[in-house]
Amino acid sequence: MTHADKAAEFNKNEAKVNWHDKALWYVREKRDKSAHGVIGWEHIRDVASGIKANVLSNLDNYLIEFEKNALNNGIKVHWASDAKEHNEIVSKILADNNAKKVVKSKSMLTEECHLNPHLEAQDIEVVDTDLGEFIVQIAKETPSHIVLPAIHKTKEEVDDLFQEHIGTKPSEGNPEYLTNEARKHLRNKFLNADAAITGVNFAIAETGGIVVCTNEGNADMGSHLAKVHIASMGIEKIIPKEEHLGIFLRLLARSATGQPITTYSSLFNKPAEGKEMHIVIVDNGRTEQLSREDFRASLHCIRCGACMNTCPIYRRSGGHSYDATIPGPIGSILSPGKDLTKHSSLPFASTLCGSCSNVCPVKINIHEQLYKWRQVIVKDVKQPIVKKSILKVAGGVLANRKLYNFSGRMARFMLKYAPRFIVYSKLNAWGKARDLPEVKGQNFDQWYKVKRKNNG
Amino acid sequence: MGREAILKSVKENKPTLIPLPMLDLNNFKEDINLLEEFKEKVKLVGGSLKELSSSETLENEIKKLYPNAKEIVDCSNQSTSLATVTISEGTNPKDLQNIDLAIIKGEFGVSENGSVWISENTFPIRVLPFITNDLVIILEKEKLCLHMHDAFSLISERERTFGVFISGPSKTADIEQCLVVGAQGAMSLSVFLF
Ligand code: SF4
Repeated sequence: MTHADKAAEFNKNEAKVNWHDKALWYVREKRDKSAHGVIGWEHIRDVASGIKANVLSNLDNYLIEFEKNALNNGIKVHWASDAKEHNEIVSKILADNNAKKVVKSKSMLTEECHLNPHLEAQDIEVVDTDLGEFIVQIAKETPSHIVLPAIHKTKEEVDDLFQEHIGTKPSEGNPEYLTNEARKHLRNKFLNADAAITGVNFAIAETGGIVVCTNEGNADMGSHLAKVHIASMGIEKIIPKEEHLGIFLRLLARSATGQPITTYSSLFNKPAEGKEMHIVIVDNGRTEQLSREDFRASLHCIRCGACMNTCPIYRRSGGHSYDATIPGPIGSILSPGKDLTKHSSLPFASTLCGSCSNVCPVKINIHEQLYKWRQVIVKDVKQPIVKKSILKVAGGVLANRKLYNFSGRMARFMLKYAPRFIVYSKLNAWGKARDLPEVKGQNFDQWYKVKRKNNG
Repeated sequence: MGREAILKSVKENKPTLIPLPMLDLNNFKEDINLLEEFKEKVKLVGGSLKELSSSETLENEIKKLYPNAKEIVDCSNQSTSLATVTISEGTNPKDLQNIDLAIIKGEFGVSENGSVWISENTFPIRVLPFITNDLVIILEKEKLCLHMHDAFSLISERERTFGVFISGPSKTADIEQCLVVGAQGAMSLSVFLF
């Protein structure tokens, strides 16, 4: 199914879509308010972007430095070329420790590697302990957003799920009651876990330490209670020096939710007495993305989710419509790198308005990369697939009244105001392969003149 | 197999070296009152804050705020008589599951975000500030810095084991974006400044 097909699915529930749209826009507004309150914000973004560019250009040396320092601190380091190797390494660590019960905190990488089903097949209990992830886990779904995994669920749906899975009373979706019940349920899991798996927000070459950021405290509850802590990280999580955390921690939470910092920013440098700490460094397609000059900068991503919250397509199509672990604008750059045919519709799920690039804390030129993928796809993917998928984006949207209502505004704006060569360029999803309806009203020149006149 | 393959692939695919940029701290100069800013930010992130004239009133103030706390761990070295449970490096972390209140000495606070740095030196069991039902952090008023850049230079010489910046109580908004305080970590955070 293409993105448009899946988006149409999500758009069947109009009230929910409207809520989703507004809720995410509200998060975007909180981000703005928070970012604007920081003097020198743009300088921080520039330097962050520059540090990430330096990291990619020296990544092998930084990885070696990181490994050396981590080993010196008593942390065990493992390397995995792909998801399969990652999962096997994790299984082996668990088996060596006779661990049968695992608590996990949010880690998009373990989602990407499909770790949960792998472990469950070996009779290991895996519990996702971030509340949003816990919700999607019991719903047998995947996160629809990297920071707000259950943003697609209503509180009533959560209420039903909790009644079924953890025996809560009907509460009409009372968030406080439900959160508290989850707290009790998860506390029990933390206390009985043999091992904890976490993600990594930043890994510091200079010290061999890692940083994990959460608001709930679940990564710390898991890792400090269990005997074994396994942290999985993509190779691109490296930063050169510890002082660089000052930069990235200022950016991350503000961009994600508008908070000045996450509740907990935990710096792990050594395992506690009597405990084991493992770090699994994973490639899984990242070095391939590194080889693509045009798309390399997508590896700067610090997974804040801001590009999703601001994206007019994401907000009205939902994270699941992208059919990938990382949805939204950044996901639409990363996914085609993994499977161009499967994800060929994603770079077209964008208005190219550039809002994503504007909010990105590490200044990834997201919309330009989307445009570049379109060029690759038109050239490389067999034409019928391209035509079909592009037609479906434009055709599917135009044929669906509800979808049209939102994209229509965008499309009409484009049709009315964008110069003809953009609308009818073969790279534009809205113009390609279809005669667009005639637009009433002024043409661009007239509109521009009127505007100018009105503005004096 | 993974290690060599990954490093080889990175080496082959990376661009030519791009220099590491420098941060210019002059961009962040701000003429603000660190204390007022810190107080405001602690409240913003859901914490509570109380300024004391001296450490002598500390014990009373904590009692007033948490009258029902029974199992109390005090690692603050403020010679209060509040502690009812003593812990050491040898304590099993799981034995802390019923702790009502933990009192920890903060090393310094960060004005820009209301966070406080605490490190393993000041509490013997890592899970303590998370597993306790409520958390009190004691902080000296002079120990405030402007932003995270200063914060990292303050901890650059530490012995690196485990440490955490804590900003407010644990929280979540995962159910329809409604903010609920008290997720998996401490239900409340109170900062006492003196
Ligand atoms: S691409 Fe930028 S805005 Fe999007 S999640 Fe990554 S860091 Fe955030």
